[in-house]
Amino acid sequence: MNYIVTIGIEIHCELKTVTKMFSGAPCSFGRKANTCVNEIDLGHPGTMPCVNQEAVAKAIQACTALHLEIDPLVKFDRKNYYYSDLPKGFQITQQFHPIGRNGYVTIHVDGESKKIRINRIHMEEDTAKQFHLSTKTLLDYNRAGTPLIEIVSEPDMQSGAEAQAYAEAIRQTLYYIGVSDVKMEEGSMRCDVNVSLRPEGSDVYGTKNEIKNLNSISNIGKAIDFEVERQKKILESGGVIEQETRRYDDKTGETILMRKKEGNVDYKFFPEPNIFPIRLDAEWIKDIQDHMPELPEERMARYQETYHLNDHDIHILIANKEMCQFFEDAMQTSSNAKGIVNWLLGDVSGWLNKNNASIETCNLKPEALVKLVKMIDEGKISSAQAKELVEDLMAGKDPEESAKEKGLAQVSDAGALEALVQSVLEENPQAIEDFRAGKDRAVGFLVGQVMKKSKGQANPGLVSQMMQEKLKQYQ
Amino acid sequence: MIREIVENKAQVEETCTKAYEKAKAYQDKLNAVITFVDPKEQLENLPEEGLMRGVPIALKDNVNTKGILTTAGSRILSNYVPIYDAAIAEKLKAAGAVVIAKASMDELAMGGTNKTAYIGPCLNPWDTSRITGGSSGGSAALVASGVVPMAIGSDTGDSVRKPASFCGIVGIKPTYGRISRYGIIPYSSSLDHVGYFTRSIEDACITLQVLAGRDDRDMTSSYREVPDYRALLNADMKGKKIAIFGNVLDAIANENTKALFFDLVEKLKEKGAIVDTFYFNEDLMKAMLPTYYLIANCEATSNHSNLDGLRFGVRETGASMEEIMTNSRTKGFGPLIRKRFVIGSYGLFEENQDKLFRKAQKVRRKIVDELNVCLKDYDCLLAPASSTIAPRLDEASGDELSDGYLVAENHMVIGNFSGYPSMTVPMGFEEGCPIGVNLTCRAFEEDMMFNIGKAIEEITGYENLIAEVK
Repeated sequence: MNYIVTIGIEIHCELKTVTKMFSGAPCSFGRKANTCVNEIDLGHPGTMPCVNQEAVAKAIQACTALHLEIDPLVKFDRKNYYYSDLPKGFQITQQFHPIGRNGYVTIHVDGESKKIRINRIHMEEDTAKQFHLSTKTLLDYNRAGTPLIEIVSEPDMQSGAEAQAYAEAIRQTLYYIGVSDVKMEEGSMRCDVNVSLRPEGSDVYGTKNEIKNLNSISNIGKAIDFEVERQKKILESGGVIEQETRRYDDKTGETILMRKKEGNVDYKFFPEPNIFPIRLDAEWIKDIQDHMPELPEERMARYQETYHLNDHDIHILIANKEMCQFFEDAMQTSSNAKGIVNWLLGDVSGWLNKNNASIETCNLKPEALVKLVKMIDEGKISSAQAKELVEDLMAGKDPEESAKEKGLAQVSDAGALEALVQSVLEENPQAIEDFRAGKDRAVGFLVGQVMKKSKGQANPGLVSQMMQEKLKQYQ
Repeated sequence: MIREIVENKAQVEETCTKAYEKAKAYQDKLNAVITFVDPKEQLENLPEEGLMRGVPIALKDNVNTKGILTTAGSRILSNYVPIYDAAIAEKLKAAGAVVIAKASMDELAMGGTNKTAYIGPCLNPWDTSRITGGSSGGSAALVASGVVPMAIGSDTGDSVRKPASFCGIVGIKPTYGRISRYGIIPYSSSLDHVGYFTRSIEDACITLQVLAGRDDRDMTSSYREVPDYRALLNADMKGKKIAIFGNVLDAIANENTKALFFDLVEKLKEKGAIVDTFYFNEDLMKAMLPTYYLIANCEATSNHSNLDGLRFGVRETGASMEEIMTNSRTKGFGPLIRKRFVIGSYGLFEENQDKLFRKAQKVRRKIVDELNVCLKDYDCLLAPASSTIAPRLDEASGDELSDGYLVAENHMVIGNFSGYPSMTVPMGFEEGCPIGVNLTCRAFEEDMMFNIGKAIEEITGYENLIAEVK
């Protein structure tokens, strides 16, 4: 039997704000444990929440980028449960009135575009971080109270690839507008995936399983692929899917049962009494929306229109915001977008990968790359010669200087080349014969001889042109 | 009294030291204090100026004081030393007030007797066989016995205004948002108010001047400017319109209380007040207490979920985090608190919220609507603050469902439902024990409330009443 796979994703993103969602303590990552906390984060008696305006602004940016409608009346609710990482015994969230509703993101899978609808985005606060040791548990409250947005998709995805593309699209968008670090490995972006299967033809959703603990985008695809197969096997052998929370083990590539869900937990949600509903000023919202950073899709369109780059190059370039910045800096003075992109995505990226470096921290300056591409375009050095300059280039050296040092220069002087061509023709009468007999590869052979004679410094384009011209007299 | 102390600069140290010693001397008889605070250090660091410079005061023990034990009257917090000062503790310090005691209270401010404090009941200075009322009983006792001219309380149902009635002093609950609640260990956030006790209306004006104002740490606090209450104070009753709370008077059986009340009303009329009787919908009146309990308990169960013994407070042992939390909570709270948490939790269950918690909020709105109808035509709503003088310690609390109890003893929650300013002023005596009158005014009309209070004070002559502790 064929099954239709249904996937919905909940994504939590930490907002990149100076202070926490409801307290003035600094937000941090990787700071000494329990140094970025105050009485509010620790849930001390008598403390009260104060809404972080910057967090609301960032949430609005996220909603806008993902095409959600903004609710200008901001309300918060309490989600009540006891857990050792939850200082107040409740989390302040937006259960009843999320800041954003009804948005979408466009994903591209196998050359097809698809809109994945987003049900809601709401703001809430993060919990403390727990470290379970063999005999004790340590708690770090630095994370407690960090602003979060939760992005809830509609169940619009049908494969691991689509889910992965969705998470990547969300990640890229939030990364572009700078509202979050979106680092899955550091936990600033966390994905919970719901997967269910139903037989083709049925319009009743199957029982869903939730997969947690996904620490990379690629693991989302792998976990779903495994989970789909697992559920399929159960169904095909006549079994029943039980509602479970599972986690993905990236060592075995399997999803593992964490707990079975027995009914829904009653979180006793009710409106947070210490925060009156806040009516956002329409002008303020508009101002945020009018000053949005460029979104990935807008940038794609601009690169197509302005630089006529191909889809493949654009997609790779777009995925790296810093690389884009470098590209745009280079394009201030360069007229060869394709040349710059080829170098960035080719030799530069290769070098960066090999040296575990990044474009924004390496020594390469946009002006140097522009110069190098220009040297090639003007025939001062050949592409092959240019490759010998990569190390120097990445070390921050001026390409002109290092070409000179290495004695790399392309001979484009017509008189000098003419002499070389003439001498090669004289030394290779057999090749001329071959050419006359219609053997085209004789031309390549003769050009090769010229290059050899020039120790690779002759401009191959010019030599070829000259050689064709000369050979005409033998036809 | 406050003004005299401030003006008498030379004796400030003596006044505070005496107050501290008096509080200690009365402790055996009143049991009003949980923690005594030596004024010495504060006296060395007094500001040059201040509306309360050198005035000894007491704080209810749910006001957080950095470095000073703050228990909220509960065993679970009996070792809690706050890491920060409540907003009002800062304001009082800046005004030069000197804290000499953290006063007893019902556990977590839930209760009207002060019998549930983990240190045991607080006794009434007028008659130590009687209760002070609660939950701010310790504060009331310290003011009534003349230890301090002002003590901070908190009022969620009538926790300032009821003990004020039983102790013969002025009890103020200003408008919701007038005073920051930041740093006050809560009971029920939508009903909680910072309140206070004094022995005169003038002192009430000065104190509000110090306490009121916007605090960014409490988002529900008001941006409204704080007027000079004392400068605005006058006892002119001409043309003031007073509504007698008809349902409450009808529900009071005690003839003496009614006689005292109507005598006062006559005298207010003589001063030019226009007085009518206003009746609320009787069903709403009977719904007041259950509505109050539901909202208060629901919010309380959530507010106090932080008391788990993990980060502060008394921690019991356990094999797991969950067990530690469970054991700490089970042993840390008294039986009344546990009962209220259960009720609150029940009311918040998803399947119950519509018929309990949310319904209670709808009823609350209806009650406030009725109050608005009343206060549209009248400057204040007037009623006895309790039907009798303070009950004896061993007296049963009575039938909680009788009309007498439902209406006569609990009508003051209307001030918490609405958030409107409300105060109790002494009105008379019975068997040597005081009883007060309560008035409720429109939002942010504390000045009106003080003026009517001043008129009552002039009529009764009960300014600076001090109980002789025997």
